[in-house]
Amino acid sequence: MSQKIRSLSVNEPLKSTQLDPKFKYEVAKEPGGEGLGYCFQCGKCTATCPIRRVESIYKPRQILRAALLGLREIVLSSDVIWLCATCFSCTERCPQGVKLADVMRAIRNIAVREGYIHPFFQAQGKMISEIGRIFEDDEFINEQRADLGLPPVPIVNLEEFKKILDSTKIKELLASKGSK
Amino acid sequence: MSSKGRIGVYICHCGLNIAEVMNVNSIVEYTASLPNVFITRDYRYVCSDPGQALIKNDIKENDLDRIVVASCSPRMHETTFRRVLEEADLNPYMLEMVNIREQCSWVHIGEPEKATEKAKSLIRMAVVRTTLLKPLKMEEVTTLHSVMIIGGGIAGLQAALDLANQNHKVFLVEKEPSVGGHMAQLDKTFPTMDCSICIFAPKMVDAGKNSNITLLTYSEVQEVSGIVGNFHVKIRKKPRFVDQIKCVGCGICATKCPVKCTSKFDVGLGVRKAIYVPFPQAIPLVYTIDKKHCLYFTKNVCKICEKFCEADAIDFNQELEIIELDVGAIIVATGFDCYDPSELGEYGYGTFSNIVTSLQMERLMNASGPTGGKILRQSDREKPKRIAFIQCVGSRDKRTGNVHCSNACCLNSIKLARQIKEKHPESEVYVFYNDIRAFGRRFEEFYSKAREDWVNFIKGIPSEIKEDPLTKNLIIFAEDVLSGYLLEVEVDLVVLAVGMIPPESAKELSRILHIPRGTDGFFLEAHPKLRPVGTNTAGIFLAGACQGPKEIPESIAQGKAAASSVANLLFTGKVMIESMIASIDQDLCIGCGLCEESCPYVAIILADRKASLEEALCKGCGTCGSLCPEHAITMKHFTDKQVKAQILAAFER
Repeated sequence: MSQKIRSLSVNEPLKSTQLDPKFKYEVAKEPGGEGLGYCFQCGKCTATCPIRRVESIYKPRQILRAALLGLREIVLSSDVIWLCATCFSCTERCPQGVKLADVMRAIRNIAVREGYIHPFFQAQGKMISEIGRIFEDDEFINEQRADLGLPPVPIVNLEEFKKILDSTKIKELLASKGSK
Repeated sequence: MSSKGRIGVYICHCGLNIAEVMNVNSIVEYTASLPNVFITRDYRYVCSDPGQALIKNDIKENDLDRIVVASCSPRMHETTFRRVLEEADLNPYMLEMVNIREQCSWVHIGEPEKATEKAKSLIRMAVVRTTLLKPLKMEEVTTLHSVMIIGGGIAGLQAALDLANQNHKVFLVEKEPSVGGHMAQLDKTFPTMDCSICIFAPKMVDAGKNSNITLLTYSEVQEVSGIVGNFHVKIRKKPRFVDQIKCVGCGICATKCPVKCTSKFDVGLGVRKAIYVPFPQAIPLVYTIDKKHCLYFTKNVCKICEKFCEADAIDFNQELEIIELDVGAIIVATGFDCYDPSELGEYGYGTFSNIVTSLQMERLMNASGPTGGKILRQSDREKPKRIAFIQCVGSRDKRTGNVHCSNACCLNSIKLARQIKEKHPESEVYVFYNDIRAFGRRFEEFYSKAREDWVNFIKGIPSEIKEDPLTKNLIIFAEDVLSGYLLEVEVDLVVLAVGMIPPESAKELSRILHIPRGTDGFFLEAHPKLRPVGTNTAGIFLAGACQGPKEIPESIAQGKAAASSVANLLFTGKVMIESMIASIDQDLCIGCGLCEESCPYVAIILADRKASLEEALCKGCGTCGSLCPEHAITMKHFTDKQVKAQILAAFER
């Protein structure tokens, strides 16, 4: 998974054909995306974001700006929308009442429907559908748990679990076209 | 002539406002089919001269006796069309307006067919109501020439001076011991950099000396009754414990007084004595004893002031006085309060010692302020070399409930920044802003000069301020939005540009005066464009920041506008009052007293088990009429019969 990170930066000037003026409505219609239009670009979210301090390509303000401008494909296919840790600091401090963590989730939901799932989450999804967990069992974990007085990791009833999964759309989503 | 009348209905296109959305032809066709409608016409602008002439001619030529105008809100043009009827020798109350613009074409712009149907229904209802209208007579009342102005800041003082110069008797009510308001606290004014008190004090002195102006300082309005031209007012004059006539303002009392307390005028930064004047240029120059801190009142000792006062002015027995006045008009000029930023946890105001508000900064810069005009930090009394301003604190922030922009803070911070650079060019000044709003004349030039003076303007609202526990310096976290860099700027002093919010008194005053407030809490003007200083209560006007954040010239302009409105109103000595009021049938009255109890205007009095109405006080709100169990109270122009007929017509087709 050592690919280049897809940021929001673009070298060429953006042509109006690349801007989808309807994207903002699409985001606002998605549950959680309602507050997008309130943003007045003060930068308080980026200044307060703990992710921004370790990863300079992540600027919540810039993601909202790009969404408002209508950079649909660039936003949806970028890796930065997956970086939000949902700590809600930005949501807490936004003077315009934009619930940024919710907007970010709304954008990710659209991205998933369009087939853009970050490889990391895709790998997790595959793991869940195959073994019922996001990571493989190993004895080391159970030893650690025993030291803490915890019972071993419960065994997943894979048959039943798969039935539940089959009734969701997760398989189709994971197999969809644009996954990177 | 039919007994139910000959009605003319006029449907206005309002340019395209109505005609673009709705099918006017279909409305006209429908209206013409309604009973009692003699003429139906549509016209591009019924309110225009030719439109009015159309109605006048029809009344004369076709002997019309009732008119329905389907156009905009009656708030816009009811007076216009009533006058048309009068000019055509019809009683002005034989008019009914139907609002097919605000209530149909504007709100239902996406559903033109339904809007058209709604307009037809509203017209049908109005036509039925119109057949039941009765002529009414407007009453004329004589007006008093005296005026009460509430608030002695720049707006109120300007209004007082203008009215006094036109020979009106003015009573200026100010809750603080001196007039002056916020302008007296400022150091300089933008964009001229005048010394604020230097240009303001002459006006204060003029007001104090003018024989037509009575200053009622340290006083508050308690009760207002009556109507335009004849308001009756009760004012609470708080005791100063100093005889206002005897006190010469020498100040020996304050030098001898042993009690020190924080000065409200210096926004908590300075100290004053328990006997004090708020600032040296106070008008009136009369001392006041602060009862909460005075040793005599708290511990029954001291009385040093009394011993040293050569004028024998100290009077510990002074009591609260109720002053009653009759005035023809009222101007509200109660200004604003500064937002208290303590509730914003991320900035630490009130916790970190080297953060001040913009108003506190004015006092720190001012020669008569607590530091004698030197900018000093609270923590160590050192001169700060790096100062940061943070804009929009408590403005444009939904979390604080203040969505509005406070207008003056951008230029005010730029002014303070330039003053700092002027005094100490070696210092670094930062202004963290989101938008710089330099909208007024010479404001952009003023902002541009600040950039030439190397003030650092940073677009980005800080997310947080932290304090260095050793140095008490402050670290500001922000994104430089224009470059995308994250900043951690260390400074010695932070100034929070706090927004203007409605004063605490606004809620109570709104109740006393029956004038509404907007969603932002400021008093609501009668019309945002056409009647900016009027209110919905005749005879009560607004001036200055009580109507919304304003800078000084705007407040002065509004003070002058309100004064001119009052002079206009009182010039003839007579006003016409609305006749849409209650009327009581005493034969039906059983004397239950519900109406007397419920009347918010104290217009009904129960005597000998019969209710009677003081017509001049009634505002026609209808509360009594809806409560009366015997239907003995009728609202003129809104009788049960008229309203019921209108409602029934709503369900017809």
